[in-house]
Amino acid sequence: MRIDATQRGWAWLTLGIFLVSGGVYVLYAVNAPAGPRGGSVIGLAFGIVGFAFMIFAALLGARKRVPTWRLGRAQAWMRGHLWLGLLSLPLILFHGGFHFGGTLTRVLMWLLLITVASGLFGAVLQHYVPRMMTADVPLETIYDEIGNVRRSLREEADHAVEALCGSLGFVKRDTAEELRAGGFTALRPIAASSVPLRTSAAVSAGASAAVAAAPEVVLLNAEQSAPLTRFYLQEMRLFLEEPLRRGQRLGDAEKAKSAFAALRTLLPAAAQYTLLELEEICDEARQLLRQERLQRWLHGWLLVHIPLSLALILLGAVHVVMALRY
Amino acid sequence: MSTSATNAGLVELTIDGKLVQVPSGTTVYDAARVHGIAIPTLCHLQNQTPVGVCRLCVVDTGARVLSAACVRPVEPGMKVSTNSEKVLAARKMLLELLMADHPSPCARQEHSGDCELETLAKAAGVGTPRFPRRTVLRGADNSSLAIAVDHDACILCDRCIRGCDEIKSNFVLGRMGKGYSTGIAFDLNSPMGDSTCISCGECMVSCPTGALTNKGVVGTAIAAGRDAQSLTAEELHKLPVFAGVSGTFLELNRGAILKRLYRKGEVICREGEFGSTAFYILEGKAQVAIATPIAHVKTQGGAQGFFKQLASVLVGREQDKREEEARDRTIPIDASVDLSYGNPVAELAPGDLFGEMTCMNFYPRSATVRAESDVVAFEMLRNVLDIMMKNKTFRAQIEQNYRRRALETHLRGVPMFAELSPDFIEHLKESVELVRYAPGQVIARQGDAADSFYLVRIGFVKISEEYPGGELVLAYLSRGDYFGEIGLLGGGVRTATCTALDHVEVVKISGDDFRQMVERFPNVRAGLEAVAAERRAANAQRMQMVHSVPIEQFLAQGLMEAQSLLILDLQKCTRCDACVNACADAHDGVTRLVREGLRFENFLVATSCRQCRDPLCMVGCPVGAIRRRNSLEVIIEDWCIGCGLCAQNCPYGNINLHPFETMAEDPAHAGRCKAVVQQKATSCDLCTHLKEPSCVYACPHDAAHRVDPRKFFAGMMSSGPKP
Repeated sequence: MRIDATQRGWAWLTLGIFLVSGGVYVLYAVNAPAGPRGGSVIGLAFGIVGFAFMIFAALLGARKRVPTWRLGRAQAWMRGHLWLGLLSLPLILFHGGFHFGGTLTRVLMWLLLITVASGLFGAVLQHYVPRMMTADVPLETIYDEIGNVRRSLREEADHAVEALCGSLGFVKRDTAEELRAGGFTALRPIAASSVPLRTSAAVSAGASAAVAAAPEVVLLNAEQSAPLTRFYLQEMRLFLEEPLRRGQRLGDAEKAKSAFAALRTLLPAAAQYTLLELEEICDEARQLLRQERLQRWLHGWLLVHIPLSLALILLGAVHVVMALRY
Repeated sequence: MSTSATNAGLVELTIDGKLVQVPSGTTVYDAARVHGIAIPTLCHLQNQTPVGVCRLCVVDTGARVLSAACVRPVEPGMKVSTNSEKVLAARKMLLELLMADHPSPCARQEHSGDCELETLAKAAGVGTPRFPRRTVLRGADNSSLAIAVDHDACILCDRCIRGCDEIKSNFVLGRMGKGYSTGIAFDLNSPMGDSTCISCGECMVSCPTGALTNKGVVGTAIAAGRDAQSLTAEELHKLPVFAGVSGTFLELNRGAILKRLYRKGEVICREGEFGSTAFYILEGKAQVAIATPIAHVKTQGGAQGFFKQLASVLVGREQDKREEEARDRTIPIDASVDLSYGNPVAELAPGDLFGEMTCMNFYPRSATVRAESDVVAFEMLRNVLDIMMKNKTFRAQIEQNYRRRALETHLRGVPMFAELSPDFIEHLKESVELVRYAPGQVIARQGDAADSFYLVRIGFVKISEEYPGGELVLAYLSRGDYFGEIGLLGGGVRTATCTALDHVEVVKISGDDFRQMVERFPNVRAGLEAVAAERRAANAQRMQMVHSVPIEQFLAQGLMEAQSLLILDLQKCTRCDACVNACADAHDGVTRLVREGLRFENFLVATSCRQCRDPLCMVGCPVGAIRRRNSLEVIIEDWCIGCGLCAQNCPYGNINLHPFETMAEDPAHAGRCKAVVQQKATSCDLCTHLKEPSCVYACPHDAAHRVDPRKFFAGMMSSGPKP
């Protein structure tokens, strides 16, 4: 989510609550004979309000499980989660008088600090990473489909190379094409972009106007096709199969550009179009790799944030029972 | 097409002493025909424009010369004699002259014995002609693979030319030469095999003699199988329904019509399957049904929705209807009956035709037909059905069945007609005309005088309006829909062009009957006027949108065809799929949107129904399951049979087929049900059961929005994005 001008209202509210509670705390701390304590009336009040904010923030998970229930827009819940969750930190600090206390409360304070910190980290990521993904991955696809798209790219590359160099044993000639009724298609951006538009397994008719007609492909002899065959078998196919493997120059845009430039000088004119196709396939594969990495950043922090926040709520409830009863 | 009568009044005349009354503009030939008086003819066919060249249909109208009945319009007080001595003598002379140049017996007479010229000559008592045979032969043309041309047998009746032009719109045939060397020609007198002729056979079927005959090289045949029998033309002619059908045609298309026996319980055809044949029941009874509509459950989300959903599951269909189901709905199928939504089962009996749309337009089978007893049926291909439907006997029987069984349901299916009295319905059932249109044929043109109200019986009709720069499609109508009321209620002028998209048959209610109806039933008038006003307002709004489109570059992408786009702001979207999950949650676990599609700068146009102005998805649905309400959203009804046509037609991939579990009758164990998986088409319905689309409501990052593309993109181009 973007932290933008539309969140101004929440920001002001949060700031206002913080300032008011801060003022109350200062007055309370200065005047308290034994210093600020969690068990005092004001301390308890801070604790209750702070815990209530934490519970509201935790309920976002439950709210997401019933997306169509009309319990308030998900956007409002998310903003509440962000700002009230953030507010819970100073309120709990005020509650404890900035003391971490015994074992349980110490654990709770650290849990709270890490949870809020991870939440802030996540908010920052969700502010910047979508923009990075939009700019860096114009050929973005659905995350769960990356494997399928990668396989389609590999098949397309196999076809292109075998059409030029002869059979390499990859393409099964009698495979029947299946057509699905309906189904989504990955389409190209229609605004001008630096990524050259091309035809691939991922392009639908919507972008056909932007694609030039392919020239006729001529079969090269063994000597002519050797550089390409070697490059494809030793580098490109491995990159398409295992993009995360270390040391692959095709994983770097500049290095890939140099590699293809060098190949261009070694191959005859008849192979140039195929080479261009392969270069674009590599580019798309790199984009998928980039998308995977950014996606992990975008959601990976939740692996820390969610378990810790659940632990925080549970232990917080234990603390409430313990503190009030004993 | 035969000459149509205008509605400007009736004319009284006498034909062979019989006083008859016909609408003004009717020809003498048609006036005689409708009153059972047969006039022989060679150049006239009911479905072609009459030209009066053979002069065989001459009648005595009391004028100085005999008149060709097929082109002579009736006049008040006319006294017509069709069989006076003078007339009979003229006909006999004509026949004798024609036979003098005719290579008797011609190929048709030899093959099937039904050359019309030789048959008429024999009936008129023409023996060996007194006149010498022609010495200049016009020759033969065997260049075509399918059709043999014998110019010497041609009597220049012009039927083949009119068949090629008017019926098939191929415009290959014409006349060439003068005087005695006149003949028919293909293109610029090329051999038929070298011409642009597509061998459709219409000329051959239209030819009354052996001038154009099928060479029998190109054969069409349905796969035979067991219990299938191919009949000869002679055997078929013994059946009343084949009376009048060209014997040449039947003989040379033996493989295109088979007599089949279906044992009790055997499935004749299954819903959703593609096919190319129609069935005509000779004996026995068959059950026609749609297997298990999914449910009448209204899918709803939310805590309130759960209880409503539960109640909907528990109560019966009649107690739980959607708001717009104020009347009983029927499911239109490709037979002479429609199915009740509450109990989608009906019976077909001898004389019933089913599978017409599948045969003519290659749509999927709309229902499952199973033999209730041993059934004997004809299965025929399109070329045979086409000819049969032109045959008066067969057509009359089909029309009679339709009028008896389905017409009233269709008439009552028009919401406003529900209030018509039974006697008026009976009057309409007898007075309406069933008219057929070929694909692409204009039924009514914008600006023409409005003289009829139409109800669609089969096929699809496109309603469009012209504007400077193009044509805007307003709607696609299918079986059970109606049109023509705006012109009749308004200024008497058509406000849109109605075109047959495929083989269409309409129920045509004359302007007089329509005016009588609205005068006698004021509520009907009020209802029709309300619908007309709604349609006019919607059309005006669409036209206004077309005129104010500012962004040409989006036209090519089809975005401006959309009325509602789901766009995702990619700079806010965290790819959490909350929108997709919410959509699935609101629709029985099946999402109607895919978070992928066209991109424009930082916006993604998700793959989700665009509520297009030109809803191509609606064309071809065999059961009318995909439709649009009076607002934007396109909905797919429960009785969708999963044929997938709408999914194929959607150019954006926004309709998908999904398997659903449901219960169906177990054919192996009568009376028991078993769980089956049934395919159904799904598409975004804008969550009309909720106030806001679930995807937009559930997005935690303010990234998903449903926008009017015209306003959204225009605003963005001028001053930045305003979702």
